[in-house]
Amino acid sequence: MARDPKYDVLFEPIQIGPKTLKNRFYQVPHCIGAGSEKPGMQAYHRAMKAEGGWGACCTEYCSIHPESDDTSRVSARIWDDGDIRNLAAMTERLHHYGALAGIELWYGGPHAPCMESRATPRGPSQIPSDFEINIHPRYADKDDILELQQMYVDAAIRARDAGFDIVYVYGAHAYLPFQFLSPYYNKRTDEYGGSFENRARFWRETLIKVREAVGDDCAIASRFAVDHLFGPISIEVGEDGARFVEYCDDLVDLWDFTVGDIAEWGQNAGPSRFFEENHEKPYTGQLKAGNHTNKPVVGVGRVTNPDTMVAIITSGQFDIIGAARPSISDPFLPRKIEEGRPEDIRECIGCNQCISRWEIGGPPMVCTQNATAGEEYRRGWHPEKFSRAANADKGVLVVGAGPAGMECAMILGKREMSAVHLVEADKEIGGCVNWISQLGHSDGKENLFRGTARGLGEWARIRNYRQIQLDKLRNVEVHLGSRLSADDIFEYGAEIVVIATGCRFATDGLNPATHEPIPGADTTLDWQLTPDQVVSGEKPIGDRVLVLENEGYFMGASIAQKLAGQGKQVHLVTQAGDIVGYMEYTLEAPMLHRDLHRLGVDIHTHTMLEKVEPGACHAYNIWDTGHKDVFEVDSVVLCTQRISDDQLYRDLKADKARLEQEGIDAVYVIGDASAPRMIVDSVFDGHRLAREIDSPNPAMPLPFIRERRLWGESTNDDFEGQLRSAPDVLPLSQLGPAEVPA
Amino acid sequence: MILVIAETRRGELRPVTLELVTAALGLKEAAGGRVAVAVIDADASSFAGALAVAGVDEVLAVSASTPHFEAHHTQRAVEALIEAEQPALVLLGHTIDSMGFGSAVAARLGLGFASDVTAVSWDGGPIATRGAYGGKLVAELDFPGHERTLLTVRAGAFDPADAAGAEPAVRLFDVAFDPPLTEHIEFREAATGDVDITKADFLLSIGRGIEDKDNIAQFEELAERLGATLSVSRPLVDAGWMSNARQVGQSGKTVQPKVYLALGISGAVQHLAGMQKADTIIAVNTDPDAPIFGVAHYGAVADLFDVAEALEQHFA
Amino acid sequence: MKVVVAVKAVAALDDEAELVDGDTAVDPDGLEWDLNEWDAFSLEEALMLRDAAGDGEVVALTVGDEEAQDSLLACLAKGADRAVRIWDDALEGADPLAVARVLAAAIEPEAPDLVLCGVQSSDAVNGATGVAVAAHLGLPHVAVVKRLELEAGVATVERELEGGLVEVLRIRLPALMTIQTGINEPRYATLRAIKQARDKPLSELGLDDVGLDAARVGAAAGARLRRLRHPEKGEGAEMLDGSPEDVAARIADIVKERMSA
Repeated sequence: MARDPKYDVLFEPIQIGPKTLKNRFYQVPHCIGAGSEKPGMQAYHRAMKAEGGWGACCTEYCSIHPESDDTSRVSARIWDDGDIRNLAAMTERLHHYGALAGIELWYGGPHAPCMESRATPRGPSQIPSDFEINIHPRYADKDDILELQQMYVDAAIRARDAGFDIVYVYGAHAYLPFQFLSPYYNKRTDEYGGSFENRARFWRETLIKVREAVGDDCAIASRFAVDHLFGPISIEVGEDGARFVEYCDDLVDLWDFTVGDIAEWGQNAGPSRFFEENHEKPYTGQLKAGNHTNKPVVGVGRVTNPDTMVAIITSGQFDIIGAARPSISDPFLPRKIEEGRPEDIRECIGCNQCISRWEIGGPPMVCTQNATAGEEYRRGWHPEKFSRAANADKGVLVVGAGPAGMECAMILGKREMSAVHLVEADKEIGGCVNWISQLGHSDGKENLFRGTARGLGEWARIRNYRQIQLDKLRNVEVHLGSRLSADDIFEYGAEIVVIATGCRFATDGLNPATHEPIPGADTTLDWQLTPDQVVSGEKPIGDRVLVLENEGYFMGASIAQKLAGQGKQVHLVTQAGDIVGYMEYTLEAPMLHRDLHRLGVDIHTHTMLEKVEPGACHAYNIWDTGHKDVFEVDSVVLCTQRISDDQLYRDLKADKARLEQEGIDAVYVIGDASAPRMIVDSVFDGHRLAREIDSPNPAMPLPFIRERRLWGESTNDDFEGQLRSAPDVLPLSQLGPAEVPA
Repeated sequence: MILVIAETRRGELRPVTLELVTAALGLKEAAGGRVAVAVIDADASSFAGALAVAGVDEVLAVSASTPHFEAHHTQRAVEALIEAEQPALVLLGHTIDSMGFGSAVAARLGLGFASDVTAVSWDGGPIATRGAYGGKLVAELDFPGHERTLLTVRAGAFDPADAAGAEPAVRLFDVAFDPPLTEHIEFREAATGDVDITKADFLLSIGRGIEDKDNIAQFEELAERLGATLSVSRPLVDAGWMSNARQVGQSGKTVQPKVYLALGISGAVQHLAGMQKADTIIAVNTDPDAPIFGVAHYGAVADLFDVAEALEQHFA
Repeated sequence: MKVVVAVKAVAALDDEAELVDGDTAVDPDGLEWDLNEWDAFSLEEALMLRDAAGDGEVVALTVGDEEAQDSLLACLAKGADRAVRIWDDALEGADPLAVARVLAAAIEPEAPDLVLCGVQSSDAVNGATGVAVAAHLGLPHVAVVKRLELEAGVATVERELEGGLVEVLRIRLPALMTIQTGINEPRYATLRAIKQARDKPLSELGLDDVGLDAARVGAAAGARLRRLRHPEKGEGAEMLDGSPEDVAARIADIVKERMSA
């Protein structure tokens, strides 16, 4: 199929310094947990995007010196020849697909705690980080400043040697150059502080030096947070923001604009429950609009819609479409537009699970929509290629069309299994996605500091994408509104049965804190509810509600937000120190806190319930069980823990004789039915089983490559020679002549 | 001559009849120079006034023996009319009623036949245009070896003729009817169960342009007034404001109503896929470049709230 | 209770269909075949009647080439007892009247209590074949049936009319009905039923098996396809100008005109 001409503008090349960017699809620097020390994961993940048509792919933030060390968070590093060698694996593979390679040279200052290197970071003034705990920088005198600038130069030269085409001086997310520029960080009284020109001096000099060192060979880019979102005490786009762009325009081949900082990174990497597509436009769009720059501009905003991309370019907002998360969700987004099949684009849902895993400090990266993200090298998974299953002649019955079941059936279909039946008891496909995607709105009217409570509606894309793909697969049949009993499954005629029947919330207050039910807790009573009952509206809820939240992710707080938005008086109680622990990692916490405060939700941390009675919940402080409280409420919502709905699986497994008699070779269980988990992990679970359905023991995941030091000499073959579950992603030596996308 | 078969229901002449008259008049000269309209109804003659179109030469009034449409009786009457009047071309509306007898007449009398025709021309005989492969292609048909051809014509394919001329002559046409093979019990309004937007003839579809969840109620009311079913584009479902059952688009439903009135919908490709085959698409959007204008038949760059408010005045 | 269900394998077109044979056909490579959506409902209605009667037979019958085989197997998998496929190369491109002639010839010896067809097929969308079959068989008929209740040889049916109106009427069996989508919830076939369908009787008949020949079928045909073409790309919308009131007035006119037809 052919590309729709209205998207032609996205495929026009553009010059950035000495380099030509072949189209307008640009993967801006983003973390993946690979760095320079997992070169396989780094190279294969980035190059998957290049294979999918992205014109440029960048590293994550790349440390220029051991003084910039963010451990336990994983950054790339370009400290020495070993790093050159490792990152060259990435540039080589990117060049094979005709993409430019970008490197984001980074010095974090006090935001990077140097836990591995144990070095001392330097900064413009000795003010402890507003992001890290108790990290002070050493005040950088003029000798220090020269050394710091030399670090950038040396790193740029190494970067060029490693094959990078685009070299960034990174001054966004409140890292070093920005710390000099912003009076919030810079209280100096010498020529590097005070006036605008003084504050801009460090950055400008660094750009001059880097340009002098590598500017003939590489495009010089700078990432700049045009507005810190702090108001006049820091950088504002209408003041120093625009001024700085004009001041350094001559030194830059490409501007990469963002907003905000690292302390509330969620204002930039905005989660969909608070920020809409292209949400940075009011800030980052001002520079071209106000004629402050003559250079190409790339910017982001979680843009997934090709029509929005066209509008961004034709309206003059940016020249180049920047993307991090949309490129993770669908590395083949550009190709799908080129091939005239935009309906196949797997859209980012803005859940920020990818970011959360990096924040926690662990690879691999993950993605709810794209289970292959992070698995390209270590498992050999390709998001668009699926080897035919060796046991394709077997018929498969997948019971339950939630995230795990849909993903499993879809991948089995793409692996050419002869017949896959996906059977769902509900009339709709999608499982838990259908009710969870209705959460997250309070009233959505108030501006919560740049965002609104938009809700989790974009999470419904998990269902939408799979629904479309399943419909296209001729070997997959989806049957809705059909609840199968164990007998039905025995008699179904499938050789392989996959149980994906999900989970339910505990009805008796069973919880991870006490491991016991809570006396009086019983959601079969009409004044007590589980979260799904709140959303379904099947029970009336009184004016005073207590929500007990022990999960630590979004559920309890979202229920509280919903009920408070309806005007109810809500007590949100948790045994943890934070009501939304995991949401700190997904960057959703600050905005949710703002909304809960605005809505007047009463938050009680370190608190647990010991008894529930009609009209009263008896609570105690976990540090001092004698310290008690009574909450007088009309209704109680128990969000304590979930329990697998695995009865079908147990029943089938128990009757081995009948399984044999009916010709059922294997019964598997995936997703929440196996163990309740986050949606991203359910999708992964379904995906993995389908990828490994023809391995000797599909229930047990195959080994994956661990990029670790092997004692003595080792080569790439030591790693890649090992069994990986799919041969769909090959080493460079085995790739044919370059298949360069448009 | 050309014989138009009128359609009546509960004492009213259904408007498709006047569209058939337009079609007939356009071919009148080529097809022999005479156009007659047959009315099969318990009170057939009373419709002459409604058929007062210049160019209609006569009204053939067949007095039906049942108070309401009965497929076998109408079939019998049409067969008798054709046998007596020997028309070169017989035109019916492509309607629920005509689906009950049109092809039966053609089969029994060995006529040329095509249904759901959108255009007719003449070259020694009729040449009919209709859709093929679900409307993805267009087919041109002719009817060699047939002296007489019966066509059912898609409603809305022709403009209705103006009944502003002199009343045509009415000739009573007798048909000997056998006892009816079906027994009419009653008419009823259809029960409204779960909304199924794919069955709706008229969809009022709202999108992101309505801006606020609280505005939905206003459009629900408007839909009711218009006699339309409310449907939505994906952003409203993503936002949790409406159920997926009402969603038009790739991951929702594909609809093909007679009228699709889109307010505040820009026309993302996934949405267009779900509605672009609607017979008549009317789009209102403040953005003149909205992609939906590329598939709409009628468009207006206007504020949808203002238009919606004004629209209410036109419907009881 | 013997019900014959006349079904059709319909072709869905790729977006880039190529025309061949002097523009009178579509390149078969660009076609995907499936059981007509309406037929799932008429088949289900037949199966329900048979199951309610406690005994009986449901026969699925189609005029089609080998591409129709899978659709017939699907009917058997869903529960039809027997299937029949009639084909002759002379039937290539046959119009509804020709198909109806052949179907009638195949159905007559079955002497069913009821013949069910879909209101229309999703590819040709004629809405004509069923009632033409009734004419050939001399069977009373009702088209566009939304609801069917049977008692002692008399069917009470609802005919779905325009604008949400319904007509309730009665008809005595034997009869033919064309069935509208949504009349029931079609059952689906399990993997076992799909496998077992291959063991059910499926007979393949030629024209002479039903007492016809190419000439007689040709004579029964109602139309000839001169050519196929791609639809003209629209020039875009006719833009309505003026104040919101003007626009609304025009929209109201258009709506009333289209909806009253």
